[in-house]
Amino acid sequence: MARGRELHFYLAGINNQNFLMRDRETGSWWQQVTGRAIAGELAGSALELMPNDELTFGWWKSEEPHGLVLAPVKGHGDKDYNRKWEEEVAKYPVPLTFPGQGLKDRDVILGVAVGGQSRAFPLAKVRGASPIEDKIAGVPVVLVTGPDGDSVRVFRSQWNGQDIELYRDTQNDENSDGHNDGQSSGWRLLDSLGNTWNFAGCATSGPAVGQCLEKINLLKDYWFDWKNYNPGTTVYSH
Amino acid sequence: MNLEVMIRAMNRSENRGLWLLLGLLAVFSLGLFLVPAFVIRPFRHQSERALGLAIAVKRIAPTLTVAALAGTVALGARLWRSSSRWLRTGIVTALVLSAASAVMVRQNYFEWMFNPITAAGFVPAGNAHLSDKEMVMAVRIGQEARAYPIVQMAYHHILNDTVAEIPIVVTY
Repeated sequence: MARGRELHFYLAGINNQNFLMRDRETGSWWQQVTGRAIAGELAGSALELMPNDELTFGWWKSEEPHGLVLAPVKGHGDKDYNRKWEEEVAKYPVPLTFPGQGLKDRDVILGVAVGGQSRAFPLAKVRGASPIEDKIAGVPVVLVTGPDGDSVRVFRSQWNGQDIELYRDTQNDENSDGHNDGQSSGWRLLDSLGNTWNFAGCATSGPAVGQCLEKINLLKDYWFDWKNYNPGTTVYSH
Repeated sequence: MNLEVMIRAMNRSENRGLWLLLGLLAVFSLGLFLVPAFVIRPFRHQSERALGLAIAVKRIAPTLTVAALAGTVALGARLWRSSSRWLRTGIVTALVLSAASAVMVRQNYFEWMFNPITAAGFVPAGNAHLSDKEMVMAVRIGQEARAYPIVQMAYHHILNDTVAEIPIVVTY
């Protein structure tokens, strides 16, 4: 929705490997990654980014057993739904290059924007260490890799007005059944206030029980694309 | 095609100006299709200026190609009688180019490559044939939760959906 109007979008072109879409209602042109209209009647307006996650299906299902999944579309099978697609794209030349910040153009990063500042977290680094504590524009954030080892979420690590530090309760892992199927009940985070937190960012015991941390959107992107639309971005390097 | 014969015949003709116009209209039409198509080639760099030009041309091309086609038809009809067989081939070529351009600027060839989802179907989480490792884009609005498998979204790119009465567009 933009300016109070419901819009319907279709694929209309490509701009430096990020696609362009148009809306059927006004024909305006929109940049996918920013959600901003760049030409046409609605130029300058922006779509509201909804809270979203990129998760393994197994984990999502464990959190949302009553959720609905997009069904395969008729007429499209394995030929179109190419599981090697990302590997293939990784070999394509890049249309832009941003050297000098220690990342290669096609390095996959998790981009986080808070309070007008943005930071890129190299995926390889995030995978190796979880949770990752950081501050962006003075806001304490934590990147957490889930029990499945693939899903990542970002939270504002503040509860009741105070900054909290989260860490893995590795001792409790043995209580899990050892499968990455979303049933790993032993997986949890601790803080210094005596709370335990699950991967949804909600306290399962302690003074904060029943409350949830504020979730922050993240964007999994190639470095060159993130840098192109977030020119002031810094890179996480601890 | 013997170009020399054609040029000599044209020179003889009193309609040189009209022939020139006919040729220009055909080239102009073709340009309205080809210039944006060239600018927004996949995997290439698009400068802001080039992209602005491509979008501007795409926006006016549907109208301009029809106008150019009308002009080509009018000029072709005018020149037809006085033309030799070779020159008529030229007229037909101009007409074909103008008509093809008018058709092509109305086509969304990006949707030929990546077919849109016209009617999305959904299955309950428990009935989906997906491996637990499959990555999905997930949204929860109010009491409604949806998962969009990335392997599908990476092909279709766009899905217009409504979740808890909120219109959303899912993009990948």
